[in-house]
Amino acid sequence: MIITTRRTALIAGASLLAAPGLVRAQEGPIRLGTLTPLTGAGGPYGPVMANGVRAVVNEVNAAGGVRGRQVQLVSEDDQTNPEAGVRAARKLIDVDRVATIMGTWASAVTTAVAPLCWESRTFLATVSGADSITALPHNGWLIRTQPNTTLQGRKFGEYVVELGARKAVFMAPQTPFTQSQVTNMKPPIEAAGGSIDLLIYDATKPSLRTEVDQVLRARPDIIVLGGYTPDTTVLLRDIFRAGFRGKLLAYAYSVNQQMISSLPNDVTEGIHTLAPSPAEGTSAFDRVKRIAGTDNPDPYTCQIYDQINLVLMAMAVGNDATGQGIRDNIRKVSQGGGDRVDNAVDGLRAIAAGRKVDYDGASGPCDFTDAGDITDCKFRYEQVRGGRQVLIRIA
Amino acid sequence: MVSYVVFLLVVAGIYALLAQSLCLAWGVTGLVNLGLAGFFAIGAYASATLTKWGGAPVPVGLLAAMLAGAVAGFVVCVSTLRLRDDYLAIVTLGFAEAVRVVASNEIWLTGGTDGISGIPAGLPRDWGQGFHLAALGIVTAILGLVWFALRRLVASPWGRALRAVREDQIVAAVAGKRVTRLKAEAFAIAAAIAALAGALYGHYTSYIAPEIFQPLITIYVFLAVTAGGNGRPTGAAIGAYLLIAFLEATRFAAEILPGVSAVQAAALREASVGVVLILLLRLRPRGLFPERNQKAPA
Repeated sequence: MIITTRRTALIAGASLLAAPGLVRAQEGPIRLGTLTPLTGAGGPYGPVMANGVRAVVNEVNAAGGVRGRQVQLVSEDDQTNPEAGVRAARKLIDVDRVATIMGTWASAVTTAVAPLCWESRTFLATVSGADSITALPHNGWLIRTQPNTTLQGRKFGEYVVELGARKAVFMAPQTPFTQSQVTNMKPPIEAAGGSIDLLIYDATKPSLRTEVDQVLRARPDIIVLGGYTPDTTVLLRDIFRAGFRGKLLAYAYSVNQQMISSLPNDVTEGIHTLAPSPAEGTSAFDRVKRIAGTDNPDPYTCQIYDQINLVLMAMAVGNDATGQGIRDNIRKVSQGGGDRVDNAVDGLRAIAAGRKVDYDGASGPCDFTDAGDITDCKFRYEQVRGGRQVLIRIA
Repeated sequence: MVSYVVFLLVVAGIYALLAQSLCLAWGVTGLVNLGLAGFFAIGAYASATLTKWGGAPVPVGLLAAMLAGAVAGFVVCVSTLRLRDDYLAIVTLGFAEAVRVVASNEIWLTGGTDGISGIPAGLPRDWGQGFHLAALGIVTAILGLVWFALRRLVASPWGRALRAVREDQIVAAVAGKRVTRLKAEAFAIAAAIAALAGALYGHYTSYIAPEIFQPLITIYVFLAVTAGGNGRPTGAAIGAYLLIAFLEATRFAAEILPGVSAVQAAALREASVGVVLILLLRLRPRGLFPERNQKAPA
């Protein structure tokens, strides 16, 4: 008898402990998390991303929140390291009970964090580019706003041909997208009678002169740079010192305004850059410019801006502020026609008025396949002239 | 919250295993092993490739990891026989980086920078909380075994000889101890323990990639062992638990600091690790559990 009573008391106690948690999930503020690299190799990108999300959340809260509920943001640091990233993600999921984690940057961190998310029914929005990520068995718990490497590689290949180059070399550190990038650059270049070689370098080396000399021995007309800002800075200096007079093509996230200002104009003059882009005249991009305080916000800031907007509207449309709600409803606000909106405040207002919305963001139209990849993406073609990035076209 | 604490206890247990490894190599034998992350990686890859692609059961993977770690440890030790102190530290640091570069580039063997995902755990993951509790039980039990065995080893005549080598290897050699053999044995056992930790990490989290095995891990473990006391397995283990508690506590401490942005909080967390290390070395240079002198047998 005593045992039964104890057990009953225990069950009652346990359910008391559990009950407020369940209630809390539908009442009180909505909790969302960002997991961006604030330190480590991704350090140049993560802080701006986290600030971008905070700005959107502040705007939405000032306008009355999501269906009357305020939004609370928790920003953690993944230290650009999968081990530290997993610890931070566990804290976001188990302690803060966030409905979504946004902004994982390094592909290895995303791959490490993704299983925790789908096991705990937390939605994951990422900016990592490796093809393998959307191939994970995530069952719809993951989207990415970054075009996958298959698409990016093809665009780079086509642009190399368009720039009139025949002999290309791709210089990059070993990352999850390096091999795939080269594989996808190859067909357009070879179809035009050209060739492409790959040279892998160690991104932590203070000088890359040996690698540059090795590349120049093959007399390429174009060098395609596949690294991030810190190592590309080193590489550009050494390419300039070696007297290379051919063309240079790079990702816009590595050759950004910050880097261009830190190098002499002679070194950066004429570099072509490519970046996923919204259609010209989209006001979302202008909003990100204002939030980031620069004329050339990097693609990751644009993407996480889109992620937070989509997440907020998905929660409103399904009237469900959980990870499940976001997973089930995000495609109802990202695609399928309706009022074109470019920010969550307008979107939430339209949703409250019972209208269907279709979000077009700062990184592109933001329409997703079932696997979580974006369906279409325009690219921004720019060239560095006199220390500034000049827009050539968007296509 | 409970699942978060359970997760941290598992991770801390794995760090404690790494600390046992460092305690034996550095604390007892005096071999500064900055290549810990490399042995950690070798174990993780050995077990992950065997169980995921080779279809071997997880216990076999763990044994293979220890064997691979021991062989690698033996090779590194034998090839650095003449080196001590700073020189050995540099070579082992280079070894760990070499392991990471090989893991990134030998795609046929390691999956490259994509890493290996979906590593079997040997337990059903859909147990939810039960899975994490079972993992906690297994990791803690293995740590307990290693800790117990290491305590016995360190207290044995063999352990005494290792300490003699640490203090002065010429005197030890003159006293008839086989210095080379002792060093190789200690280093290989230490490497095997680190490899075991790596294998457990891979099976528990289901994913490994070269980026995990950065020197940062080695530095964390040095911090743990320094905090706990580098000559005693108990100190090393407790140091590892304290380290994880400290790393995670700074997360919450940074949140309640007023007027600190996320970036500043992240920077403060990293800085606090350095400050604590300096304070420890200043106030408790021999750690919380300093090594005790062994009484001569009566």
